[in-house]
Amino acid sequence: MSSTPLPALARNAPNGGHRIELRGVSSGYHGKRILEEISFTIEEPAVYVVLGPNGAGKTTLFRTIAGILNPYSGSVEIDGVDINRHEARTRLQYLSHIDGIPDALRVEDALRFYATVEGATAEDIEAVIGKLGIQELRKRFFSELSQGQKKRVSIARVFLQERNIYLLDEPTANLDPKLAREVRDLVLGLSKDDLVLYSSHNLFEAKEIGKYVLALRAGRIGYFGPLSELRPAKYIIGVRAEGTEGVLASSSKKGDYYLQELAGPEEVPKLIAELMAKGVQIREVKEMENPLEDLFT
Amino acid sequence: MDSGIPSLTWTTIHRTLVIGRLYLAIGTGVSLLLTLILVFGAHSSTAFVQTFPLEVPLFAVLGSIGGLMTFTSDRTKGVFEYLIAYGIRPRTLFINGLLSAAALTGLILGFALMVGLGLAAAEGVLLTPDLWKSIVLYTIPMSFAGALFTATVGMIWSSLSSPRTGINSPVGIAPMVGIAPTLLVLIVAETGPSSQFYYVTVGAAAVIIVGVVILLGLSGRLMGRERFVSPL
Repeated sequence: MSSTPLPALARNAPNGGHRIELRGVSSGYHGKRILEEISFTIEEPAVYVVLGPNGAGKTTLFRTIAGILNPYSGSVEIDGVDINRHEARTRLQYLSHIDGIPDALRVEDALRFYATVEGATAEDIEAVIGKLGIQELRKRFFSELSQGQKKRVSIARVFLQERNIYLLDEPTANLDPKLAREVRDLVLGLSKDDLVLYSSHNLFEAKEIGKYVLALRAGRIGYFGPLSELRPAKYIIGVRAEGTEGVLASSSKKGDYYLQELAGPEEVPKLIAELMAKGVQIREVKEMENPLEDLFT
Repeated sequence: MDSGIPSLTWTTIHRTLVIGRLYLAIGTGVSLLLTLILVFGAHSSTAFVQTFPLEVPLFAVLGSIGGLMTFTSDRTKGVFEYLIAYGIRPRTLFINGLLSAAALTGLILGFALMVGLGLAAAEGVLLTPDLWKSIVLYTIPMSFAGALFTATVGMIWSSLSSPRTGINSPVGIAPMVGIAPTLLVLIVAETGPSSQFYYVTVGAAAVIIVGVVILLGLSGRLMGRERFVSPL
């Protein structure tokens, strides 16, 4: 995989001109560089999944794009405006992996606190409380909430004001599966018109919602491109079937699935046809490996 | 701005009152206790007149720690990250911390003076012109100067250090640091000629305030935004 700067993805996409552009960005903390020479441009409304092992620089990347960290070199522009200008800050929303809700406030007061900063109205607060279904939490102190409830409140804050660029650092961490699904649906809804950078350690989630993948490795871009173009080193599918005697019986198994190594997904129909021709009753065929796993190796 | 939405500064002050309520209670409580001892326990008015104006700034410094606690908590919990992402400048975060400390100081000072002077007057202690002069030229300026100095040093210190809790943290040590210039001024003023007392105290308060302003100015230059990122 290349670590050299990649060209912009889908530059001519009809998205109303929203753009994140990083040019030669090196960034980090207290003089220690975490990100090295990061360059990319994204313009097409979509979910861009940011992946990488712990310490690869995902959170540093989000903080740098959000203007929280000042790059040691290079530039960050939002819609062509330098991130250090207030005008650029008002075009994006940032969700940290930390809750970021002040102490000693009830939920509705915490939302009022951020509404103050964002210039949102009381009506906006009511709207996000309804949208995230946190009516029953509004009078409770934030410190009394469970981790999942805290995350919901933190996410609610992001939707106080509509923006066109969303930086979401592990938005579904600590959420139960039902709420995580709701958040993913919300993000997918956003991605129709907006740019969404989304980090996650859940590769299945990443594969489900991401259109593009930006993989970081030791502070550099390891891969940046469409998720659909990612191919695992080995393409292995599992076949759950009956009547496999003499056909699949010698294949290795994982649970109920007979494993078959193919050159790629284009060979799946051919395999199915061959198995059916030999009298195998196929119940299910599924990919056994997530191509995103290779980005962590 | 919607009329139902309070300002960021007011919200910060309000939170400071909640977060620092224990220090506020200790500051006012100890001040009240000493007042009671001076008014009811001492056998002469002189003890109150000479001691009361000098001790109040020490309690004001102690009671204003809530401003620093709020600042430290906001940094650790990632609140500052969000505020900076929204375009709030770090200097504004410092100023809000100082205003919160000043608000707490005002509360303690107001309480201590009203209760102290009220009790003294009720018990027949003569509130002499010298007492009023001491309050105006020493108690009030040194209370604010000491509290703002404590808050400034504490905020810079906590921004430059890893988060710690307990007495070994900036919040734990700041009161001692903050009280130091107040005590030093007192010692210098008391050892000098009495005619110079107020010149020394007012001058010292002014110097401390100037120091706070300089530190505030330097903080914007010396501390990058990364200092406000949560270490969690």
